[in-house]
Amino acid sequence: MQTWDMDLEELKEEETNLPGTKLKTELLTVNMGPQHPATHGVLRVEIKTDSEIVAQAIPHIGYLHRCMEKHCEAIDYRGVIPFVDRLDYLAAMSQELTYSMAVEKMLGTEVPRRALVIRTIVSELQRIASHLMAFGTYALDLGAFSPFLYAFDEREKILTFFEEISGARLLYNYFWIGGVWNDITDRQLGYIDNFLNGFEKELVKYDKLVSSNRIFQERTMGVGTLSLADAHSFGATGPVLRGSGQAWDLRKVDPYLIYDELDFDIPIGEGQRGSELGDCYNRYIVRMLEMVESVKMIRQSMKLLEPGPVIGKVSKVIKVPKGETYTRTECPRGELGIHLVSMGDKTPYRLKVKSPCFTHTSILPHIAPGQMIADFVASIGSIDIVLGEVDR
Amino acid sequence: MRDERLTFFGYFRNIYTAVKSSLIGMWITFRYVWGKKPVTVEYPEVRDVLPDNTRSRLYNDALNCISCNMCAISCPVDCIYISSVPRPKDLDVPKCDDGTPKRQVLTQYVIDTALCCYCGLCTVVCPTECLTHTDDYEYSQYEVADMKYDYLSDDLIAWRDRLVKS
Repeated sequence: MQTWDMDLEELKEEETNLPGTKLKTELLTVNMGPQHPATHGVLRVEIKTDSEIVAQAIPHIGYLHRCMEKHCEAIDYRGVIPFVDRLDYLAAMSQELTYSMAVEKMLGTEVPRRALVIRTIVSELQRIASHLMAFGTYALDLGAFSPFLYAFDEREKILTFFEEISGARLLYNYFWIGGVWNDITDRQLGYIDNFLNGFEKELVKYDKLVSSNRIFQERTMGVGTLSLADAHSFGATGPVLRGSGQAWDLRKVDPYLIYDELDFDIPIGEGQRGSELGDCYNRYIVRMLEMVESVKMIRQSMKLLEPGPVIGKVSKVIKVPKGETYTRTECPRGELGIHLVSMGDKTPYRLKVKSPCFTHTSILPHIAPGQMIADFVASIGSIDIVLGEVDR
Repeated sequence: MRDERLTFFGYFRNIYTAVKSSLIGMWITFRYVWGKKPVTVEYPEVRDVLPDNTRSRLYNDALNCISCNMCAISCPVDCIYISSVPRPKDLDVPKCDDGTPKRQVLTQYVIDTALCCYCGLCTVVCPTECLTHTDDYEYSQYEVADMKYDYLSDDLIAWRDRLVKS
């Protein structure tokens, strides 16, 4: 296959000056998005194509920019939580967790034990919901419609539980500074237990339906390969980095909540089923294996649940002492960091969000050259970006 | 994309595995024809039961409001417009249902529902619990300006029995 590593200008010159012909060929610029279903939001990718092959892809971001970081400087600490929800709207609980942990760290608040366990259960359920969405839409991108419906069926059960505990289906405002809003009842714990039993069977079904499907494997194996060195230099985290073969997970490396008491593995891409290390299939399979680990974690944490209060002592008007902090957690899409600077006021002085999706978007121009356009769609789906978090 | 040398048997093995794995997938989807209960509801005829703490449309019971402004302060998007005047001293101070005296006369209580982000922070700080989220979700309007609801108007006060949970 022809390689496209050469400079684009050089390529143009070579193409236009074919000896013995008067016909000129040049690269065609195609805009993919911002309203393209395969870009998972409002991402516009400017693709320079030579027939079906992508020579260059430039992502243009900013269509969902809502000035969230600047806006947070004008509202009080409790009011920021609905805004961090809207960063990654598919995993809102994980964003709330990071923010509330950052404020608690600066305030020195002690979070009750029961709240910590509930937070662990809920954020792992959120990870399953988010990965189900990634799985469903990825299969949809590659032309399989029914896995999308099956994934939504299971995700719906998690959202029903979240709706019961928080009152909202997508943007929860459930993790408060100092704990969680509502307690979990025994009936709801039974509901989760039922769900997990059924979900393990569903995972086997997904494996048969999609992961071991030969057509799916041909579409994803060897496509969009990201070597470990490249993953390091792009600052990739989460399933993208683990798909390239490094076992880096903040839940193990830098444990927060009660993760140090839980027994779980870090699934990494190992070139499963004859795939190439770091390709789309590895990133996909890491997500599927992570769901199995999450089920294990939820089962263990449900045993650790003891009665007690769910919210610690926080003053009515939150005034964070002067200083700054950087808190990071392992979100479903990678490492989310929040850099919070306070001047001792009622509002944050600066709230910088380090978003994994923004980092992963920068990988696209690197893996795109030389791919077919249909494979490029597979590459976008495999890094699983949410544009609300890219643009903020 | 994989650079394997395609052999004669490999060609047929590829076809075999592709057909086999596709048939397995088709069997899984085929089983959904019978014996699976539908997971969706046919909305206008059948309605899902929402949980008790659903955060849908806001309702302020203006008769119990003490005009303390807490909701407007805590709102992150500033969608609550509230104004009041001090009650004249020669008049009796009426009381709320829970006994809190109403020292201010509420002159305006408007919530712009189009701006509201349904976070629930205003209902938590309400001292008399008169501002609540209801489970009413059918209140779309043709114009954005119509989404501003005046909770002192007669028709909204009349909704009290229908919307407020006991």
